[in-house]
Amino acid sequence: MSTEHATAKAAAHSKQDHGLSEKGLKAGSVGLIGAVVIGVSCIAPAYTLTAALGPTVSEVGVHLPAIFLVGFLPMLLVAFGYRELNNAMPDAGTSFTWASRAFGPWIGWMGGWGLIAATIIVLSNLAAVAVDFFYLMLAQLFGNPELADLTTNLPLNIATTLVFIALACWISYRGMETTKTVQYVLVAFQLLVLGWFAVAAFSHVANGTAFDATAIAPDWFNPFAVESFSAFAAGVSLSIFIYWGWDVTLTMNEETRNPEKTPGRAATVTVLVIVIIYMTVALSTLAFAGVGTEGLGAGNPENQGSIFAVLAGPVMGPFAILMSLAILSSSAASLQSTFVSPARTLLSMGHYKALPHKFGKISPSYKSPSYATIASAVAAAVFYVVTRTLSENALWDTITALGMMICFYYGITALACVWFFRAQAFSGAHSFFFKFLAPLLGGVILLVMFFKTAYDSMDPEYGSGSSVGGLGLVFILGMGVILLGAVLMLIMAKLRPEFFKGQVLTRGN
Amino acid sequence: MRYVVGYSANARGRDAVNLAVSLARGRGASLDLVVAIPDAGPFNAAHAPAAGYDSYLHQQAGEWLDEALALIPADVPAKAHVRSGESDAQTLIEACDEFQADMLIIGATSSGLFKRFTVGSVASALLHAATVPVALAPHGYHRRDALTRVSCGLGSRAGAEKLLDFAVSMAVNREVPLRVVSLLTLDAGDSDEAADAAREYANKHLAAALPADSSGAAPAAKADVVVAQGRSVEEAVDRLDWEDGEILLIGSSRLARSRSIFLGSTANRILRALPVPMIVVPSDYELKHLNQSPSSDTSREAQA
Repeated sequence: MSTEHATAKAAAHSKQDHGLSEKGLKAGSVGLIGAVVIGVSCIAPAYTLTAALGPTVSEVGVHLPAIFLVGFLPMLLVAFGYRELNNAMPDAGTSFTWASRAFGPWIGWMGGWGLIAATIIVLSNLAAVAVDFFYLMLAQLFGNPELADLTTNLPLNIATTLVFIALACWISYRGMETTKTVQYVLVAFQLLVLGWFAVAAFSHVANGTAFDATAIAPDWFNPFAVESFSAFAAGVSLSIFIYWGWDVTLTMNEETRNPEKTPGRAATVTVLVIVIIYMTVALSTLAFAGVGTEGLGAGNPENQGSIFAVLAGPVMGPFAILMSLAILSSSAASLQSTFVSPARTLLSMGHYKALPHKFGKISPSYKSPSYATIASAVAAAVFYVVTRTLSENALWDTITALGMMICFYYGITALACVWFFRAQAFSGAHSFFFKFLAPLLGGVILLVMFFKTAYDSMDPEYGSGSSVGGLGLVFILGMGVILLGAVLMLIMAKLRPEFFKGQVLTRGN
Repeated sequence: MRYVVGYSANARGRDAVNLAVSLARGRGASLDLVVAIPDAGPFNAAHAPAAGYDSYLHQQAGEWLDEALALIPADVPAKAHVRSGESDAQTLIEACDEFQADMLIIGATSSGLFKRFTVGSVASALLHAATVPVALAPHGYHRRDALTRVSCGLGSRAGAEKLLDFAVSMAVNREVPLRVVSLLTLDAGDSDEAADAAREYANKHLAAALPADSSGAAPAAKADVVVAQGRSVEEAVDRLDWEDGEILLIGSSRLARSRSIFLGSTANRILRALPVPMIVVPSDYELKHLNQSPSSDTSREAQA
């Protein structure tokens, strides 16, 4: 518990193993409902739906429900592996640390980079979505539709987005956290509004006032009816994104009142809640708007970036402002909490000498990863400015690139689990399934999706159809980020070679 | 005697350590350095498990404490602790309970550029909830020798007796002179009359607080009574002369919950103008110890 003055001074050189701390979280604070709220808030369904529904429809059309269901499978498989790794080596560096321990420094570095890139991309997308709905809400509030168009004013849009990013960064830097009450309210409100949207859309269909009433067909649930493997792969990598964050429920242990049972139950309940809400909203959207490429159609490229921004008004009428509020609040809350992820991974990489020392700094006043948090904000801001300037539909393209990036680092993480636990793979049914088979399947599926999407995205017509030098913008963004990571890795290997010689994080058990 | 020091690895933390060394030296107290780290809030979960970050924080806090212990001279016994809780203030208050501390010492400043005391958020939270006297080190406090004088800021409100008791015994035990300070904000016109009234009030209470047998408490008999006037409290504070080794004691506002500190607006303004450290004593703090210990030993801080 405490160290005598004299002994502490004597032991000043051996900085490890302090024994100073009363270690650990105060157990038992989170029950089943709390854990489900945490899970749902990490997924942020209102935000993921508005961001991913359009791009997914553009890939798979009416088979959206099928893809949303299928997309959960690799997430589930990978999450099993994630949980095993987290139990064996709990570390803030997650994918970075685990992949380094399994495959050595180079793949580990790239795994960490993939995680950081994915979270940076989602930060910029979250901020952009928040800004869209911020202006939309202003328009709805003052009954002046021109206000909503302010978000299409490029300089104003970029400036507002940067302000949102800076604010969230500041809150995160100060170590402020969303409280339990706020999180409960946000989650309940999101689910309520999404439910309202679905009911309103279905009643329009029933009353014959829908934009393009489309009868729900069993075929919509058949993933094999998707016309091509390319569309299937793109759809799955997008739907990975909509379940991203669900794995958090599985990795909660000490925080829960009953660590044996709560995480598993919470994960199950969370995914049921999420699948029900996704299915209802997806079906109601398709039934109301169809997949046509004109007007309100879910296939209209104009609507892809943020589907609810377009549909909430016609569907919910004057209550559309609730949707704006739900998405604005959930994306703002996610924006702030998501800052924690890249910051902690960067911190961990700094700590293990895979990045310059200053990334490992912890603020003495706020106890947050100070340098890493600011670095994440700068990166998210730069990424947004670049995408917004280059792309005709930045939201759409970033979400597609993001899906790719998640497949990349989750794939590496899952295979890291298989390799790390290879000695135990056949030591029992439980180990075989959770440490070997599930992560192996999940990892392979995700990496196949990654390579397929990456290959397809070279087509200049891919995604929103933006391109640079004859290559699709999604490819440029995705591969550019990975390439940038590889270059930085080589520079780091020159500057701080210890990590890359495997002297800091050793392989194996 | 144990003092808890709320340490952070920055200038504010070093101010606190210097003040703690100074206070401990006059009294032979031991120090418990505490770094407060936040509990990982599960409701802020993102794509990074909390457990891993926690271990980095503990390790970092341990390194900070090593540095802090190295700042403390060998004649002052000190221990280091890492404690976690929902807020820094709450954590420090719990640490005071755990170690049965007689005082909590913190650096009070945030990055105040123009004022010596710009109360930081942790300090301000502590002043609203602490149940032990809280010593606030001003920005850039570097003195580490024992105190040379105790000042006691006296208001006209109830509770002055207990504060004076505390001040008298603190001065007696540390063998330093006591000065009773009345801060008046006045227009020039009626100042003399008010000053006389304040002086009379202070003298009356001082007489009651001083040990009846003053032969055994020679230093305390040297108590001065000073009335400082100014258009504002800040001006009154500025007009007083302050020794380098001085400390100002003030009582918390009577708005406070029993036995906890609530800094009144006057005290807050004093804090902003004051060049020396200040100790804020909770409203009923003395009473509790008075009931347990006889005669004029009014608190453990005051015990011989």
